[in-house]
Amino acid sequence: MSEHATAERRAVERIVLGAFRQLTGREAGALRYAIMDDTPVGILGLSAGEAGLNHVGFVKDEDAFVERLLAEFGDRPVMRSTALDRARHELERYFKGRHLAFDLEVDLSALSPFDRKVLEVTARIPAGKVATYAQVAAKAGNPRASRAAGNALHKNPVAIIVPCHRVLRSDGSLGGYGGGLPAKEWLLRHEGAIATSLL
Amino acid sequence: MDHNLRVARLLAVHGLELARHLRRLVHDDDVAQDLLQDTLLRAHRALTRLGAGANERAWLYRIATNAALNHLRKEKRERRALEHHAHEAESAVGPDTDGHGQQPDVRRVALWNRVAGLPERQRVALTLRVADELEYAEIAARMGCTAEAARANVYQATKKLRLEVT
Repeated sequence: MSEHATAERRAVERIVLGAFRQLTGREAGALRYAIMDDTPVGILGLSAGEAGLNHVGFVKDEDAFVERLLAEFGDRPVMRSTALDRARHELERYFKGRHLAFDLEVDLSALSPFDRKVLEVTARIPAGKVATYAQVAAKAGNPRASRAAGNALHKNPVAIIVPCHRVLRSDGSLGGYGGGLPAKEWLLRHEGAIATSLL
Repeated sequence: MDHNLRVARLLAVHGLELARHLRRLVHDDDVAQDLLQDTLLRAHRALTRLGAGANERAWLYRIATNAALNHLRKEKRERRALEHHAHEAESAVGPDTDGHGQQPDVRRVALWNRVAGLPERQRVALTLRVADELEYAEIAARMGCTAEAARANVYQATKKLRLEVT
């Protein structure tokens, strides 16, 4: 992006933030969001604060996503932004199958230490491989907490980026998925973790 | 949804685009922010009148454009009054003969002044066409007129300026 375009974007964002402050009393740091409405697994909503990407999830539509962000972050202005171009670019590359790994700043600070640990362990499972809930729980420091690990994965705020879809039940069945099981199947097949004939 | 959340949703989804639009029309960030707030308050009051499935974005653009046009009209009246005062003051004390030489880019300033002096609708249409590089249909949607009227406004403006616009 050119310097001029960046300067313009900053000026325009300042105007929107000023209006937010005046009209809604929301003073805290802004949350920027973007919508990817044409992915193989449906509509994705992305949001990021100063510390990085804090949400990637399956959404019904833009309005529903924005309403959820506004309710969840009651003190922060929310605005659509092109500042998430990098995350969008990496996700598009992923969906095209060109590059299945991500290199993005992710903000997991809202999670409990155990949940965060589970997601950090999960983030190290490479594309094309899978692990079980029990294995992830053990690596996170508590071999008997596979149910708690499942709960932590269910709360994963950054779907696909932290690949919670790569975690399955010990019997090899898919388990659950926030974006629905067809999406989980699609992602695993896309990464080559399961052969089409097995499903 | 309560009042704050509705306004916040409109700001979240359309704020950036509206702010950019207003900023290009009025060339002043503070004024653009005031007009953006104004636009959202008006929109919020009229929200119940907007039928389901209506084009919320085009509707907001129209409200914003009208707010900007009203502002420019008011500003022009104020400028005329100021010029009138300045003229009176000048004839009272004599012209400023201090003479710091000519402006660095006299022609650009002159052109800018001529753009500023155009009738508002022509000036807005020209700005949208040249600075925002919009199609006539998009200009029309933002100004609340037909594409033909938008084209006519741009044509009249360029004719006055003898400026080549493709």
